[in-house]
Amino acid sequence: MATDRSNEADYIRPVRRLLIGVLALILLALFLLWRIDSPRIERFRTAVVDSVVPNLDWAMAPVTRVARMVEDFRSYARIYEQNQELRRELQQMRAWREAALQLEQRNAQLLDMARVRLDPQLTHVTGVVMADAGSPFRQSVLLNVGARDGIVDGWAVMDGLGLAGRIAGVGDRSSRVILLTDSNSRVPVLVQPNAQTALLSGDNGPAPVLEFVENPEALRPGDRVVSASDGGVFPPGLLVGEVALGADGRLRVRLAADYGRLDFLRVLRSRPAEVIEQSGSLLRPVDAAGVPLDPATGAPVQALVPAEVSDPVLTPVEAVPAVPLPGAERPEGAPNE
Amino acid sequence: MNETWRFDTLVHLGLWLLIAAVSIVLHLLPLGAIEGDWPAPDILLALTLAWVVRRPVHLPAPAIVLVFLAEDLFLMRPPGLMALAVLLGSEFLRRRQSVLRELNLALEWAMAAAVIGAIWLGTRLLRAIVMVPNDPLDLSLLGLAVTILSYPLVVWVLQGVLRVRKPAMGEVDELGRKL
Repeated sequence: MATDRSNEADYIRPVRRLLIGVLALILLALFLLWRIDSPRIERFRTAVVDSVVPNLDWAMAPVTRVARMVEDFRSYARIYEQNQELRRELQQMRAWREAALQLEQRNAQLLDMARVRLDPQLTHVTGVVMADAGSPFRQSVLLNVGARDGIVDGWAVMDGLGLAGRIAGVGDRSSRVILLTDSNSRVPVLVQPNAQTALLSGDNGPAPVLEFVENPEALRPGDRVVSASDGGVFPPGLLVGEVALGADGRLRVRLAADYGRLDFLRVLRSRPAEVIEQSGSLLRPVDAAGVPLDPATGAPVQALVPAEVSDPVLTPVEAVPAVPLPGAERPEGAPNE
Repeated sequence: MNETWRFDTLVHLGLWLLIAAVSIVLHLLPLGAIEGDWPAPDILLALTLAWVVRRPVHLPAPAIVLVFLAEDLFLMRPPGLMALAVLLGSEFLRRRQSVLRELNLALEWAMAAAVIGAIWLGTRLLRAIVMVPNDPLDLSLLGLAVTILSYPLVVWVLQGVLRVRKPAMGEVDELGRKL
């Protein structure tokens, strides 16, 4: 502030310099505190964003609408090509629809035969995208649902068709979705025809990279990629996209979710699957001490049981029915599609 | 209260705050993730530096800190880092106001480019030291170049539209003191 003013009091410059130093120290301390205790500062950040951004709706809605209108208006210019393209696509869609109907009937028959019970707890909450981080370095968006609607960190987020990302940061009225393209996103996936597991890692580009593929030669562009339940992060079987070969020769995934227009996103409520750890207690009656009982006599059967069952917690073994079911070759495990 | 906080200063400070708020909100608008695109220039940084070179009285350091801290919070950057860098950069320019007043645009541009580059390098180094993952180098270098290239444009808007100029010889402020 005005270093060359002759009539400025002499004490101002040292005081000012001191104040600047204190400000700089506070900022450095804040940064270091964020580095050391990131969750607390991130919660503070979430609280600030949560209190400000929903109140900006009045400003954001018209601007967004105008931008969309400009975008739409631009598309009038090539309306003829679009029309042709749409006709071609419609023709293809008719063929697909026919195939889908047939497959649906077939699937219903198969499900009926197999009596598959779909996970009844896989329901969803739908939210509207309020804001995005707006830089090429951070690929994340803000949803208008939060802890009030029961959102929990780590849940999977889809648009209508495919997986879009996962929840990272929940405020009371808003939550942040880190998209699959973000450079911090790592998601276990399954490449479908030969069931290879891989890791989908974002690199800020439009198509994330497939890493840690066991056998890259067996993959070819166009293979379907679905989410895997490894690590308990995501429910399995959600469509992610299809394999594509990038210009740099790396295997990438073309995402099924339409990142150009993320308007509504659906957050899947997921709960960790139960884990079966004991063998005996599932099928046989157990007394208070955890010793298996003979179902016929009600007496402890230590003499007949091998040593591993006496310590069931330390050595988890697969659950095998006591009596093999007649005619069942694979009694455990859900039937595959 | 300090007597330099006069109406004109307050109006210009308010104008800058408004521009900063609009810039942050524009970043937040859900216009679709820009991916694989050129990074946008950091207009707010260029504008702040150009403004400090012209009229340092308009932008007190606490206001600069508050605005860039808010930007850090909203744009998911490490909180405090960019604010610290911009504070130090703007103070550097503020100290050298008597020198900068004599320079023509090309030399001033070189100086601003040096400050912007130092801010970029400093934040990257500090992030590397505390092991926060850095942005990809190529994109971030491109962003730096675009920001530096946008500086003359920002100066043009600042002088032409907002009428914030370097004080001329013998110009006085509202209290009649020499600037």
